[in-house]
Amino acid sequence: MGRRCPSIIGVGRTKFGEHYEKAPQNMVEEAGLTALDSAGIERKNLDACYFSDYFLQITNKIGIEEGFLSELLELHVHMEKTRSFSSALLNACFTIQSGKYDLVLVGGVEKMTDRWDKIRDDLMLLEDPWSYYAGCTPEANHELMLRAYVRKHRISGKSLDKFNTALAQVSVKNHFHAMNNEHAQYHREIGVDTVLKERSRTQRPLGMYDFAPISDGATALILASPKMAKAHSDVPVHVVGFSSATDYITFPSREHRTGFIASKKAMEDAVKTSNTKRDDIQLAELYDQSTLLEMIALEDLGFSKRGKAWLDIYESCEDYRGFYEVDGRKLFVNTNGGLKADGNPLGATGGAQIFEIVKQLQGEAGDRQVNADETPQFGCVLELEGFGTKAYVHILSRD
Amino acid sequence: MSSEPVERRVSYIGDRLRSSRCSICGEEYFRPKDYCGKCGRKSYGKMEDIDLFYEKGTLEVCTLVNKPTNKFAKLGPYIYGIVSFHDGKVRVPSRLTDLVLSDKEIQLPDLEGQDVVPRFRRRHRVKASEIVPTISLAFTLAEGYYPHQSHIITKPGKEYETPGIVGYGVYVSKFRIKERVMERSIPFMDEDSITAAVEAGKMALIHSGIDSSLVGKVYVGSESNPYVVKPIASKVAQVLKLGEEEKTDGLQGVDAIDTEFACKAATSMFKDATSLVHYPGSRTSYAMVIAADNSQAAPRDEVGGELDLFVGYGGSAFIFGMQDVIAEVEGWYSCTSDTPDFWRRELQSYPRHGGRFTGKPAYFKHVVKAYKKLMARLNLQRSDVNYFVSHQPNVGFPTKVAKELGFKEEQYVPGLKVSKFGNTYSGASPIGLAAVLDKAKPNERIVIVSYGSGAGSDAYSLITTSQIEEKKHRQKFTVQHQIENEHIKYVDYDTYRKFKLGL
Repeated sequence: MGRRCPSIIGVGRTKFGEHYEKAPQNMVEEAGLTALDSAGIERKNLDACYFSDYFLQITNKIGIEEGFLSELLELHVHMEKTRSFSSALLNACFTIQSGKYDLVLVGGVEKMTDRWDKIRDDLMLLEDPWSYYAGCTPEANHELMLRAYVRKHRISGKSLDKFNTALAQVSVKNHFHAMNNEHAQYHREIGVDTVLKERSRTQRPLGMYDFAPISDGATALILASPKMAKAHSDVPVHVVGFSSATDYITFPSREHRTGFIASKKAMEDAVKTSNTKRDDIQLAELYDQSTLLEMIALEDLGFSKRGKAWLDIYESCEDYRGFYEVDGRKLFVNTNGGLKADGNPLGATGGAQIFEIVKQLQGEAGDRQVNADETPQFGCVLELEGFGTKAYVHILSRD
Repeated sequence: MSSEPVERRVSYIGDRLRSSRCSICGEEYFRPKDYCGKCGRKSYGKMEDIDLFYEKGTLEVCTLVNKPTNKFAKLGPYIYGIVSFHDGKVRVPSRLTDLVLSDKEIQLPDLEGQDVVPRFRRRHRVKASEIVPTISLAFTLAEGYYPHQSHIITKPGKEYETPGIVGYGVYVSKFRIKERVMERSIPFMDEDSITAAVEAGKMALIHSGIDSSLVGKVYVGSESNPYVVKPIASKVAQVLKLGEEEKTDGLQGVDAIDTEFACKAATSMFKDATSLVHYPGSRTSYAMVIAADNSQAAPRDEVGGELDLFVGYGGSAFIFGMQDVIAEVEGWYSCTSDTPDFWRRELQSYPRHGGRFTGKPAYFKHVVKAYKKLMARLNLQRSDVNYFVSHQPNVGFPTKVAKELGFKEEQYVPGLKVSKFGNTYSGASPIGLAAVLDKAKPNERIVIVSYGSGAGSDAYSLITTSQIEEKKHRQKFTVQHQIENEHIKYVDYDTYRKFKLGL
């Protein structure tokens, strides 16, 4: 990273879950104020705002979201709306790096429960219309990928039982982590049995406990240029690597169907630009839209070998000590509870992932603070849009 | 989907699975594309149109969807997966249709790797006021009820002096209800008279081996079009690419029209099709007549509910022309009277009927008259006729009329299929005719007399040619195949009503 490395100097978020009483604007306000507060800056110092919502236009019939934000902040600066928090952050990083801005508010919000009755149709239609027309559901592609994976790597018999258990352990582990996350949607420990029983009850390879929930929530952060970071923060977290890659919208049309090429490419590029090594990364917030995707992400990002991530998970979770042991190294994954237990308000989700890494790197994660030998230096965040159609990787580092 | 332009674009591509192939590198793409992603700019203008409509694919991987999205909820549970064509060169999302999943039986690994055939179906539920969305991303197993058949275009070998039938096809679904002596075909959830019309037409094109661009006119007779205004024939013309394709405008150089006259809506047009292909000035090589109905009946306990014991579902298509004729049209006679024995008023879901008066003053009067006048016109004796087919709203009427006219069982039973499929309304006598053609030898005379309430009858005399034998091998999906198929699925009364109502 060159001279103008962007730094996060404040983060904020709401609790994720069902916010029946709150309008999207209320949640944005809450998260934004927390972020401004923690950065110790006034809104009038902001040069620009980048913020995201995946489909507020559909769920809440809100049009030019920037206008709402302008009204909320009483600001007339450059504002841009993206689809995911990571996308907003990436764009904000570019502006800091280019020298255009010094202080940027990055935010994200989603209000999915306002349209709970039609949400699965909306999600699928947005993910890929042609798959939707053929009868695809938000869960079906995960299950197809699972079957393709199992077949490709010839997992059968006892190994298949272990594989299925490993995916259940992902959910158990994420629920376990969420217990110490005051903002998480779920504060409820579950066992492997719960996950397996739900799968067998519904006769599905992945059950309700394998999928991230539908959530409302908002997140925000303040991104600063090096000069501003120095002025406003004692513990800035630097965004040392950021990248994004894209894949075909129709999953069946893609060349690879047992992983996401977009995740792989984004990670490779982010690592390259960050001047770090993948092995230096000890913290990872992975996009566990399903338990399968957390496992797949371990492979896509290069932590686990192809076809082996489930084994890494299984062996780490037999006697779980708070991290995955991959290649003899500790990798702390989804310490906030992941999308599964922390919640998944699409446009805000990436913000919660970043929030977690920032808190961990600052050593301020409270009861969630990872039990590493020393405070970790690097953490990464993978966020997806659609079913691996877009991938964003951010690599964060403390001083 | 309530957007008309979006619906047009999606069904234009999806109904026929229009795709592209790069003529430079051979890369294939689902959906039309102007250039190849691999070859880049040099491929511009060098992409070939392909479509997967007549192809056989492989179900690569699949999963059970037991919690569909809202618009698919009525279909569920179902199997969803990825189908590949041409050894994996192109892959499409897919839903297996025609499956009623009883929970314990599903073995996904048994399905994976199986060959599948694309089927033209309704896409998903919409509001009653909206455009009916369709797509061919629905598939059935090639080893199942509906076999895969290639569409091989054959150069015509012989020009006949008398026009006649050059090919035909019948489609009834694999679902049946069995009550007392009757078996009746019923549509699956995603079927209706439009999908039956397209499937039957596809079968007729396969059987005739003609180039679909030479079809100059298509008639669809039906009394159960899901639309009051909007023809089934336009969908048939577009999906089957009838007439010359005007690609840049996405239109077909064909005349397409729907006809309605209760159960004779299609047979009435046999003579029009025959005449059209015979008249040189029309420059029409072939004309297609389709009969398709998801025969309507009120529930059993309501007024008009008697029909509920008899109605079926299916379609048939006949292609008329002068070349490679399998059955020449020798002559016809039609009669009409204003006899309101069966009707359905605007905005009514189900037809009503005149009870006992649907018999003697209606069915029998017209059928007998039409038959006798035809025989007189052509100077024929009963002994000149090999097979007799009449409209078949039930087993009793056609049996009685055949006996009254002096026909023996071996002459009228082959064309009496109502006890297998139910009354398929417009399709009833045409399916009987198809069953006879499946069986007939060269130089046999078939007389068919339709009946449409309202009322009228069309009587035709057809004489088979030697080509009837030659074309037989082209059609695996014969009427008999659809009767004796081991994959037929019987359902109970409630399922039958639910299926009939559809998406």
